[in-house]
Amino acid sequence: MTKDLHDGGAFSRRSFLKGASAAAVGSAALHANADAHQDGPKSYAQGAHAIALTVNGKEHRLQVETRTTLLDALRDTLDLTGAKKGCDRGACGGCTVHVDGLPVNACLMLALDAQATQITTVEGIGRPGHDHPLVLEFARCDAMQCGVCTPGMVMSSLHCLQTNANPDRASVQRAISGNICRCGTYGRICEAVAGAAKRMQGEKR
Amino acid sequence: MNSRDRTPPEKELKVGFGSLIETRTFEVPAGDAPPWDATTKLSVVGSDADRADGRDKASGRAKYTHDIAFPGMLQAAILRAPIARGLLQNLDLEKARSMPGVAAVIALKEVGKRVRFVGDEIAAVAAPTLDLCRDALEAIVAEYAQEGHTVDFLFADGAPVLDEQGDITDPWPDAGEELTAAFAKAKTTVTGTYRTEVQTHASMESHGAVAKWTDADLDVYMSTQATFGVRGELSQAMRAAGLQCKSVTIHAEFVGGGFGSKFTAGAEGRAVALLAHAANAPVKLVLNRFEEHTCTGNRPAALMQFRAAVDEQGAIIAWDQRSWGGCGHNGQGGGIAIPDHLLAKAARRRERAHQDLATDADPARPMRAPAHPQGFFGAELCIDELAAAAGIDPLALRKQNDAQPLRLQQYELGAERFGWEQARAAAAEAKQDQHARYLRGVGCASARWGNLGNDGRGRGDGPGHGAVCRIHQDGSVEARSGAQDVGTGFKSVLTNLTAEELGIRAEQVRATAGHTTDPSGPAAGGSTTTASLAPVIRHAAFLCKQELAKKAAEHLGVAADSIVFAAGRLSAGDTSMSFGDACKLIGPNPIEMRGERFPNYKGKVFERGVCGAQFAEVEVDTWTGIVRVLRMLAIQDCGIVVAQKPAESQVLGAMIQGIGFALHEQRILDRQSGRMLNGDFLRYKVPGALDVPPMEVIMQSVANGHSNCSAAGLGEAPTCASAAAIANAVFHAIGHPVRRLPITPDKVLAALHQRGGK
Repeated sequence: MTKDLHDGGAFSRRSFLKGASAAAVGSAALHANADAHQDGPKSYAQGAHAIALTVNGKEHRLQVETRTTLLDALRDTLDLTGAKKGCDRGACGGCTVHVDGLPVNACLMLALDAQATQITTVEGIGRPGHDHPLVLEFARCDAMQCGVCTPGMVMSSLHCLQTNANPDRASVQRAISGNICRCGTYGRICEAVAGAAKRMQGEKR
Repeated sequence: MNSRDRTPPEKELKVGFGSLIETRTFEVPAGDAPPWDATTKLSVVGSDADRADGRDKASGRAKYTHDIAFPGMLQAAILRAPIARGLLQNLDLEKARSMPGVAAVIALKEVGKRVRFVGDEIAAVAAPTLDLCRDALEAIVAEYAQEGHTVDFLFADGAPVLDEQGDITDPWPDAGEELTAAFAKAKTTVTGTYRTEVQTHASMESHGAVAKWTDADLDVYMSTQATFGVRGELSQAMRAAGLQCKSVTIHAEFVGGGFGSKFTAGAEGRAVALLAHAANAPVKLVLNRFEEHTCTGNRPAALMQFRAAVDEQGAIIAWDQRSWGGCGHNGQGGGIAIPDHLLAKAARRRERAHQDLATDADPARPMRAPAHPQGFFGAELCIDELAAAAGIDPLALRKQNDAQPLRLQQYELGAERFGWEQARAAAAEAKQDQHARYLRGVGCASARWGNLGNDGRGRGDGPGHGAVCRIHQDGSVEARSGAQDVGTGFKSVLTNLTAEELGIRAEQVRATAGHTTDPSGPAAGGSTTTASLAPVIRHAAFLCKQELAKKAAEHLGVAADSIVFAAGRLSAGDTSMSFGDACKLIGPNPIEMRGERFPNYKGKVFERGVCGAQFAEVEVDTWTGIVRVLRMLAIQDCGIVVAQKPAESQVLGAMIQGIGFALHEQRILDRQSGRMLNGDFLRYKVPGALDVPPMEVIMQSVANGHSNCSAAGLGEAPTCASAAAIANAVFHAIGHPVRRLPITPDKVLAALHQRGGK
């Protein structure tokens, strides 16, 4: 009963994650395969693994458990806390990061599965000493209140701009529709993305 | 020096807004900064300066409680009761304690004590990882003697009987002579039963804290709305636990929302401090989303019945009401508040006819304008039904009955900006087509909040609220408050007022908030923070300015009181110097002044609080019953607007939360288990980007005359009106009221059916 209550559902994601490795126990390798994702899903033994993650262009070596999510690895091990844990269930988008150029909920990806990928977090999108145009425009448009959802919004917006340099309001709304903001800043986020699009086009010229 | 020793001189101030400005006399305490009024030209205050910490937040640099980490820090988790009611019969922590890596296990409920709701705290553990914590929770043995429970307040003791339509059938209690007579001479009378569901705060940053002991000194990083409140609470709790605790310091530099749920440290706050002590290591405890939905309070449900009457001339002459609150196990917090400003001419029931009903569920906590969105929804919809029954335009009925001069202007302005008449007419015309799939409707509602802040002295004689301003030799300026910014923009209040006073730009001021080592302020609740602290923030800067002026006067060879601070310069007649050069005269010790929060001025303020009006247009799909909000407009005052963009953001956010309350949000408890069935963001639907239409907000900067800067708070007022305006628009679209929130498709289809049956 305890377990179910804590995980918020009769179906327990936790027991699922814990057992993610069940099929591979027999041939357990302590060190996970660095090419993990290239041949499709891999199985891993339960317990600790030494892995490497490439985050914002830099390789980090770290210890994770099989069940450790990419989000927990980023936040708790690498101290990259821009990605927030709003729900830990892929429902709020606060943990949005880019994996090989696509926005993902870092709470829904195992750290092991993020090996051999290019991970970009909100900390990695500007140039050193210069905030990204989206960050500047979010601030200028006041596209935030408490700010906890904001880095995730920035990352979803960034992907929107990477696929469409000049998105209309509806495109931005769709791009951030997986991100929840309880303070209610959606309208101004749309304005900020439009502003950033202009700024980024100006920078290219 | 105490403010009471001074004789306050009288001062004339221009108060009001637009065409409503008039001169009134106030007692202004000696020593206060010269008060601003409606004629004061301000350059930073009310400007479009960016939010003070906007870039820190958007870039991910801002460190919230969830983001705090220390070497050797442990994680923690709470074991919660799976039953709604019963006794804790056995609690065995030994197996968990003996697990490798588990650093501390503590009981949070004594064996023999009662479990009050699903999620009640039983025990807590600390271990190096969250996964290990959860393993340890599974190793705890807790046994319960379960008892029967009730989680639906309509089945609680004292609940009224409802008929199939959800209407209260019991006759009204005796209304008394005056009210009965008023109803007797009415032209039109309507009556209706209205209901709202439990709404959860659902802050994006859940409740959480990091506790760190250094010998007997306790530092707690907490996601809280009340730094000083929880400081006191934890200090007491540590003593009660028999721990030696010399000091408690709270840090809440960035807080990820609260909306009223974070006034107390709660069981989780006490647990993390006790675990850190027991484990002799820093401990972090962060609630998960399910715990946040189910264990940290909510806006309770409301059941209301209103009857209202107008006379031949359209005056609302009679108003009657009775109500019940659907509360948690403590049976508190379920009251309703209605727009009394529309009922100035109405006879009313003398005694309060409200009853809070207890259920075996998580207790209510204050939530953004407690009691108001519920009551405003019911009452404003009842008023629209009254208008429809009497054949009066609902906006015209409000204009005729509203007692607030400023709101009358807001109605006018809103009607013009929103195209009220045209949109109402177009919607009515489209309705003529009986086969039209989509119907449109337009509605409005009023907003108000009655708080102009306080001096923090309570009934005592203490120093009251404070704020510190520091000017350093290098030209940097600090504005500091121990009160917290929960996302409202309080740090911009610090920077803007300080910059205004010193004649510099907002970006030149560094704001720090949320550490109890800085001067005290109120909890971020009831729209009190800005109203209470703005005058003392400004006063601290004013005192620093006087000190800097003395140094500059010597250098420039002019009288200190002739120096004007503006546009980054200190000027007196023909001579001037830059602010930066003046700062070089300061020396190694900064100019540091603590402001004094004088009591609110005695005199007739323009308004006792703030007021607003909101407009909404909706589209109803008659095939599916889905309601879409097409556009919204809010007109709102908050005294003199200190931080324009954050103020607008707060109103926009209130409207979006109003969409959620009106159309989507409801906590669903399973009657069998007492457990929340939708305790997550997938099934408890807060509005998303696609639910939000274009919205406009017009802030009115109103000089009230209550303090040196006339600032008032803003969190609550706009929250009152949004759901009511949407419900009125749905009523207009369908021609039949949906008297129960949220207005989900099933209720819309039922209303369409009822309309068709007429």
